[in-house]
Amino acid sequence: MPWYLYLACKQLFPSGRFPFFTAISVLGVTLGVAVLIIVTSVMGGFGYEIRRMIVETEGEVDVKATGYLSDPQDVLAQISATPGVAAATPYVKGVVGVQANGRPAYPIFRGVDVGTIERVANLGRFTNPRSAIANLDDDSVVLSSQLATSLGVHVGDKIEIYSPLLIEKLKNDEVFLPREFRVVGELYIGHQQLDSSTIYGTLRAAQELYGLGRSVHGIYVRVKPDVDEHAVVAQLNATLPRATTQAYSWMESWADFLWVLNLEKSINFFLLLFIVIIAAFSVMSSLLISVVRKTREIGLLGALGARPRDVALCFCAQAFIIGLTGTAIGVGMGFGVLAIRNDLVHGIARLMQRQETLRQFYQFSDLPSHTLTSDLVMTVVAAIVISTLAGLIPAWRAARLKPVEALRSE
Amino acid sequence: MSEVVLAARGLRKSYQSGDLEIEVLRGVDIALGAGESVSIRGESGSGKSTLLNLLAGLDAPDGGTLSWGGEPAQANRRATFLGIVFQSFYLIPEIDALANVLMAARMVKAPGAAERARAKDLIARVGLAERATHLPAQLSGGERQRVAVARALMNSPKLLLADEPTGNLDEHTGDAVVELLLGLCRETQTALVLVTHNAAYAAKTGRQLFLRDGVLNGTNPVDVSSR
Repeated sequence: MPWYLYLACKQLFPSGRFPFFTAISVLGVTLGVAVLIIVTSVMGGFGYEIRRMIVETEGEVDVKATGYLSDPQDVLAQISATPGVAAATPYVKGVVGVQANGRPAYPIFRGVDVGTIERVANLGRFTNPRSAIANLDDDSVVLSSQLATSLGVHVGDKIEIYSPLLIEKLKNDEVFLPREFRVVGELYIGHQQLDSSTIYGTLRAAQELYGLGRSVHGIYVRVKPDVDEHAVVAQLNATLPRATTQAYSWMESWADFLWVLNLEKSINFFLLLFIVIIAAFSVMSSLLISVVRKTREIGLLGALGARPRDVALCFCAQAFIIGLTGTAIGVGMGFGVLAIRNDLVHGIARLMQRQETLRQFYQFSDLPSHTLTSDLVMTVVAAIVISTLAGLIPAWRAARLKPVEALRSE
Repeated sequence: MSEVVLAARGLRKSYQSGDLEIEVLRGVDIALGAGESVSIRGESGSGKSTLLNLLAGLDAPDGGTLSWGGEPAQANRRATFLGIVFQSFYLIPEIDALANVLMAARMVKAPGAAERARAKDLIARVGLAERATHLPAQLSGGERQRVAVARALMNSPKLLLADEPTGNLDEHTGDAVVELLLGLCRETQTALVLVTHNAAYAAKTGRQLFLRDGVLNGTNPVDVSSR
């Protein structure tokens, strides 16, 4: 080990001790790194949950009709024959009016093909009972959990659904009565928006509500494992008639939302990076004090034959070791807090009796977490580089000291 | 005539004090052969430490030439060519006595088994074998200075420069340190320049020089003019 590295370690951790100056410097970096990891992981978790929710309810690709597809079977056959496609299912989607127990709501009605939807979406995972979607008939629906709660209905109750066609009929002085549906299950996805305003029914029921005949609004597509959905989208757009259909990947469909999510994550990362920068100033001031306290030792090193460059490296190495140690502990602390995040959040919410508020204002009842390798690498590299840079000024000052003057200093 | 280890000719050094230029050294000549010892005495402020710093290459002279072992003195040869013992010991407080001795070897290369063995041997020779793992703060002044002597000899230097090594020690301990210095230098054929106020210690060296008015006076057996 070069002498400057050896001395840097010994000065930071003499005889295995953890001196106050070292502890404070390391703690600053630790907190910065831990907070960065927690925040980027939680933000990444939101992104991951969005992906899971979209893919598991709609598939990876959405072939949207320009208006509607009057002959979906041909398009379905074309899509199914496309390389990389695992399954496809038609859908009808639109806003309806619902009334039950005198309470109104305006959720999205999703009409799905009961025979094929489970090949594309894993809805059974989110429903109670699990077979609710598979057992749907044209007179039954599955309500999202919060919608059921707000309407005050339970499985077995009946609700009335008003179609948008009602407005058209009213214009022509016609009467269009609402349709009565039986609630056969509840849906809980874990996303506030979907859990509060979604109804699943059969494709035919949705077609009747919208007066579509046999037409559909689009086709959800499930891509085979390890196949790039963007390649499938490109292939579909190349083969399907552009006048009537357009394929979008889930990322394109939700591009604006994902962009905002990513922007929030970037801004948070940038702002929280200031904790590391402030910690770096703490490292710098500690090392500057060290240069002053150890002026005569620095002079001695010169007298022993140390080159100014090596003296500078000794202080840079100290800053690097502080950054490395702080980052290592910070990574551990960050993942430790992430491991108990839900207990913490629920504990605080319980303590303040705000569990429902939490559920109401946040998209997820549990705090999601997903650490991207790129985020972790960026955090670790940024923390170590910034900490090491903090050692440059002390290193420069130490290297400038002339041995004879340093030895003479009081 | 023995191999010339140190040769300085016409060394001059002055300091600026306000508008006043103080000429501390006015052409110092000195030469030293292998295994020789020389003492330099002088009044406080006469420039003894300044001269020693010039001889060690820690400071640059305003004029004159300096050579170590017949070659121009250069900072990158300092670690291997000479050892320095200071009045204030200057041990590194975070590492133990043995590690302080080994620090001199680290300046040259990462120490191996041979260097560790030599450091242990030197610690034993200065009488601190039992205290090798003690930190400087756990050692007395005399013990610290003995560690500093062992450190100065670690790289088997040709020249040892000692700047008032007994200045911070009591008389008894000072005697022991000077005896140790002289004995080890004799044993290892290391040339010694001892800067001291103490006439008794100076008398123990081969030659006694006196720095007065910026000039060294005394016998100088090696003819520098022929180098």
